[in-house]
Amino acid sequence: METRKTRLAALTAGVAITVLALTACSGSNSPSGSNSPSDSTNGAGQTLTVYIGADGKYGPQQQQWFKDVSAAFQTQTGATVNFQTFASGTEELTKIQTSVVANQGPDVYVMGTTFTPTAYSTGAFVSLTADDWSKVGGKDKFVPATLGISGPSDSDQVGIPFNSGPFAMAYNTDLLAKAGIDKPATTWDGLVAQAKKLTGNGVYGMAIAYKDNFDPWKFIWAMSRQAGNPIISGKVAKVDDPTTLKAYQTYFGWLTTDHVVDPASVGWNDGQALAAFASGKAAFFPMSTTSNIPTLSTSAVKDVYKFALMPVVPPGATTLPAGGAGATSIVAGNNIVVAKYSKNQDLAFALVKYLTDDANQQFMYKTFGVLPVNQTTLKAVVASTPALGPILDAAAGSVATPFSGAWADTQLALMNVVVQTIPDLAKGSVDNSKLQSLLTAAQKTAQSSLDKAP
Amino acid sequence: MPASSAESAGQSVPSGLAGKTPSGRGGPTANVRHRRGVTASNRPLWMLIPGGVLMILVIVVPILLGLYISVLTLDQYTLRQWLSAPFTGLGNYIEAVTDSPLLKSFWISLSFAVLSTAATVPLGIAAALATQNHFPGRAVVRSVFLIPFVMPSFVVATVWRTMFQPDGVIVSGLHSVGITSGLWLNGPNSYWTLVIVEIWAAWPFIYLLALAGLQSVDHDVHEASALDGASWWPKLRYVIFPYLKGPVALACVIATLNHINNFTLPFVLFGVPAPEDVQTLPFLTYITSFESFRFGLGAAMAFSSLILLAIPLIIYVRAVKLDVDEGADK
Repeated sequence: METRKTRLAALTAGVAITVLALTACSGSNSPSGSNSPSDSTNGAGQTLTVYIGADGKYGPQQQQWFKDVSAAFQTQTGATVNFQTFASGTEELTKIQTSVVANQGPDVYVMGTTFTPTAYSTGAFVSLTADDWSKVGGKDKFVPATLGISGPSDSDQVGIPFNSGPFAMAYNTDLLAKAGIDKPATTWDGLVAQAKKLTGNGVYGMAIAYKDNFDPWKFIWAMSRQAGNPIISGKVAKVDDPTTLKAYQTYFGWLTTDHVVDPASVGWNDGQALAAFASGKAAFFPMSTTSNIPTLSTSAVKDVYKFALMPVVPPGATTLPAGGAGATSIVAGNNIVVAKYSKNQDLAFALVKYLTDDANQQFMYKTFGVLPVNQTTLKAVVASTPALGPILDAAAGSVATPFSGAWADTQLALMNVVVQTIPDLAKGSVDNSKLQSLLTAAQKTAQSSLDKAP
Repeated sequence: MPASSAESAGQSVPSGLAGKTPSGRGGPTANVRHRRGVTASNRPLWMLIPGGVLMILVIVVPILLGLYISVLTLDQYTLRQWLSAPFTGLGNYIEAVTDSPLLKSFWISLSFAVLSTAATVPLGIAAALATQNHFPGRAVVRSVFLIPFVMPSFVVATVWRTMFQPDGVIVSGLHSVGITSGLWLNGPNSYWTLVIVEIWAAWPFIYLLALAGLQSVDHDVHEASALDGASWWPKLRYVIFPYLKGPVALACVIATLNHINNFTLPFVLFGVPAPEDVQTLPFLTYITSFESFRFGLGAAMAFSSLILLAIPLIIYVRAVKLDVDEGADK
């Protein structure tokens, strides 16, 4: 009996470990170096921990930047900055979850703009007072559009803009000229018509990354928003709205019915779509980030590409419909939030001020291809680089995604529709009823997530 | 049963200890009497305390915590004061079973695990038999066989993901011999991708245990069967395999559990959101908890899957008599 019990116990333990792995799996959590409260920005001997995404494209430059920032901040306040990096949004989510539960962790987080609502809903980050804003240099310092997703209202904000990366569309001037097209269309239908003309001889009209983990939902959101559907409106999700269905049909249709994208793009991520455009194999490259700019400027097409706005008129329309917003982009980029549990909040604000001041904003633009959120810097950049004009217009015309704690779930549901459709896409035809049922499922996810919100 | 369990308990106590415990009573007769005593009521159970404490800390407390979380509405809004999150009773369990992909994930996990085990067993045994007899370079071959097993899952998944890309080496390789394979990382094929990679990574485990089983075959047995003139198949079937039954049956249980538990492989191969066909139980629980912030529902899913998995597991363990004492079995 003993052995049997032991074995059963061992087996139970084995299964139990599964459960533990499932329920308690939450990564490691190292407490921040902050250990003594500070009542001023005199931070001698203190360490401020900053949690920031690792830059996949400019890694070594980012490491050097960490060192430079820490050295400069030490000169300024006596405190050092410890940068910790994460490789994926998932990793950051886990870190935030554990820090929120443990009430300790990094002092400052840099997070994607669309994640700000979820972070806000945890209540674990400092809602900025007028005093706090003045500590980071004043709200006026920032480009107004970048504040669009800092909080639910002007008076209740947790996110401080850090950098901006709006959508833009790169196009190959050479290919367009050969096809007798002088500039990209401003409607999605017009763009497809142009793309059809440009497709042929191994060149495709558009480069699209269907397999990217971040890109696809942004197109769906933009087209839906332009048609008047914000996806989340108050406590109601509208994922199964006809405008959204139309957006998906258009997005998939480029491959299945219009044949203006490379069939191989069902397996592409953003980098692979970029490579296709950069080697002259695609005429239009709608980009959901500006971080491709440094790569483009050294590529084979470096002398024959320009930027334009992505179309702002939804599919099936020739003018912006009533209720539609001419969304050129989401409010894209990164925000900074300061943890409530941080004992170094004043130091944190001092660091945020440094990071968003002109010098650092200039540096980040030149090094990482991210647009400044600082008004002064942006003006200087505009003056020195006229080609960026459309991107800046995109930033100015950007519309924020809904500020809802349910957004992360909704975004995942929007992405999931694309992921589950890829096999059909690869076969060359997307069944409408199947698409509709995926949308119904996504709607259910989004709505049930909204229903949970207090 | 008591006699045999007594025997096995006696075996597990080091002889030095058996001699020491009864020292207060002294004498060889007492010692003999005590041998029986050790197996009955005077066992030094206190020696289990360190292990017991560890088990409580590492297993029992987290399980209770997990159970508690599973009856809460714990999400991003309540995470900060998670101990006082609203109580929802069995709500999460009902939702997990009736209104979530849990049951589908259960079948995916179970079939994936059973298929992977079924495929790795013949591979592992064949490899063990092939390296049983000495030949030049055997040590090298044995080491090479272990490579998939010692490689971190993350690395394995990353490399295979690269190979399975639409323009990767596998698709183009198949294409060059006239096979159009379609997508491997999306759609129904993704399930087979998961199985193939798991088999590649997991067969050396069966190989190791089968090898251990082969080592225990007495040299005399080989000689005896040779004297009896047994040809290779009867020898393998009736002489060698019975030795392997125990280790391989155990390997099957452990391997199946490992397959079910494997989170890294689908996570790294497919990312989030994953194709529906590879949403295994750990993956689903992870997405529910950490991507959708539904920690209560995630915990309820984990417990539901524990119960669901325990049923076939217990049936299997009974069927192969792994839970029956070895002494009685032989």
